[in-house]
Amino acid sequence: MIRLENVTKEYSADSPALIDASAEIDKGEFVFLVGASGSGKSTFIRLLNREEKPTTGKVYVAGKDIVGLSSWKVPFLRRNIGCIFQDYRLLPKRTVAENVAFALEVIGRPKHVIDQQVPAILDLVGLSEKSHRMPDELSGGEQQRVSIARAFVNRPLILLADEPTGNLDPDTAVGIMRLLDRINRTGTTVVMATHDRGIVDTMRRRVIELSDGKIVRDQSGGQYR
Amino acid sequence: MIAKTRFLLAETGQNIWRNIALTIASIIVVAASLSLFGTSQLVADGVGNATQRWEGGIEFVVFMKADAEPSQLAAIEAILEESRGQEVDEWSFVSKQETFTEFTEFFAGDEELLGTISIDTMPPSYRIRPTDTNAGAVEALGTTFETKPGVRTVVFATEVIREIQQNASKISRAALWAGVALVLAAAIMILTTISIAISSRRNEIEIMKLVGASNWFIRIPFMIEGMVQGVVGALLAVPLLGLAREYLIEDFSESDNLRLLEGFRVTDAEFLATSLIVIALGTGVATIGSIIAVSRYLDV
Repeated sequence: MIRLENVTKEYSADSPALIDASAEIDKGEFVFLVGASGSGKSTFIRLLNREEKPTTGKVYVAGKDIVGLSSWKVPFLRRNIGCIFQDYRLLPKRTVAENVAFALEVIGRPKHVIDQQVPAILDLVGLSEKSHRMPDELSGGEQQRVSIARAFVNRPLILLADEPTGNLDPDTAVGIMRLLDRINRTGTTVVMATHDRGIVDTMRRRVIELSDGKIVRDQSGGQYR
Repeated sequence: MIAKTRFLLAETGQNIWRNIALTIASIIVVAASLSLFGTSQLVADGVGNATQRWEGGIEFVVFMKADAEPSQLAAIEAILEESRGQEVDEWSFVSKQETFTEFTEFFAGDEELLGTISIDTMPPSYRIRPTDTNAGAVEALGTTFETKPGVRTVVFATEVIREIQQNASKISRAALWAGVALVLAAAIMILTTISIAISSRRNEIEIMKLVGASNWFIRIPFMIEGMVQGVVGALLAVPLLGLAREYLIEDFSESDNLRLLEGFRVTDAEFLATSLIVIALGTGVATIGSIIAVSRYLDV
């Protein structure tokens, strides 16, 4: 599903963010990216949805080389990749349902599809009752659920999560992880960058550890360490 | 397709509404600059029309009576031919028919006036280019015709007409540059408004990119917003041009003190042409401004 071949990314010549990284992630896998701040986790994720291009090396997503992808094709790549972030990135002037619907509207989905899919996904993330609330009326955990609903409503093949539990208390974080696990069980590949030792150690999934831009460990059923 | 169109229109509407003060300011700048640009074109047209009969060095016109005898015309022509190469450098005859055609073109649309005239009531005339263009010499030559049989009056290109004519190209060139400068200001205003709209919506734009909205889908609402400003501004400029035509330009031709500027008016065809130019210019400038704004500030 995802393949990195000898990928190096330099923002400035003296301190590369990622050095000669190679990894292959299969369809339906759940992978944790761990490592200290600045180790290259976010760069790894940004390379996968073509927010960044590698300085050298190749990135394949769903069998396609995405480095040479022409810019007008990038949106179509991104329709297959959902993204969630530590800071949720919801639109503050739209309701929960409108935030989720926005993701479908901007790719031109017809209204009857939106009217059917939005309630279904809000039901999945447990927010049916709050579909008309504004984001600032929700707790952090609820806001992250909205952001997951928005990322998943289009049923992407891949879900990229950059520190999704970073702003949440441990109990709420567990709830979010259960949700991501559930999404992963539908066959969606999940790549999650995290600092959360407890989550990684509990879930026992594949762990790719980065240190100073290098992959220093790639272990299935791994722990945070 | 319907869903896309509806969404894009809703987005555009929201953009305009959120940015309403700047949008109105842009529209006013567009309307003001285009109406000034258009007015200067109309003034140039008016000057052209007023001085038309004085083009090509014509210094005076001998108007015959409408009922002048052919022999009287022949007498004038004989004098003119005789003086050719001496006092008279060149002369031309304008027939009743030609005068009538010129008149009806000029006053097209003024049915009331046109109803009162016919070919028969039109005076034939001689347009004369003297060898010596010194004012005294011209007047001396011209007045010799005043007393000839069949002559109604002799009209001289006065200093004022001459000056207007000589300045006509300068005026229209200056007007053109002023117009260009103002239209450029309007384009920059639209560009700025769009770039502010883009920056005020950067969160939405970021989400749109993340979920895979196509580049054009992101750009179009901003481009429509810019074009709305240009088109609405241009459409407002047209009635302003109408006011300019009525109060500024045509008042000249009715003013008793400025009898010299008789004929200082703009035909319907000229007004229509100027209006179309203004609308095309407004739309074009807005389109270019919007395209520059989205390609510069919208990194999709």
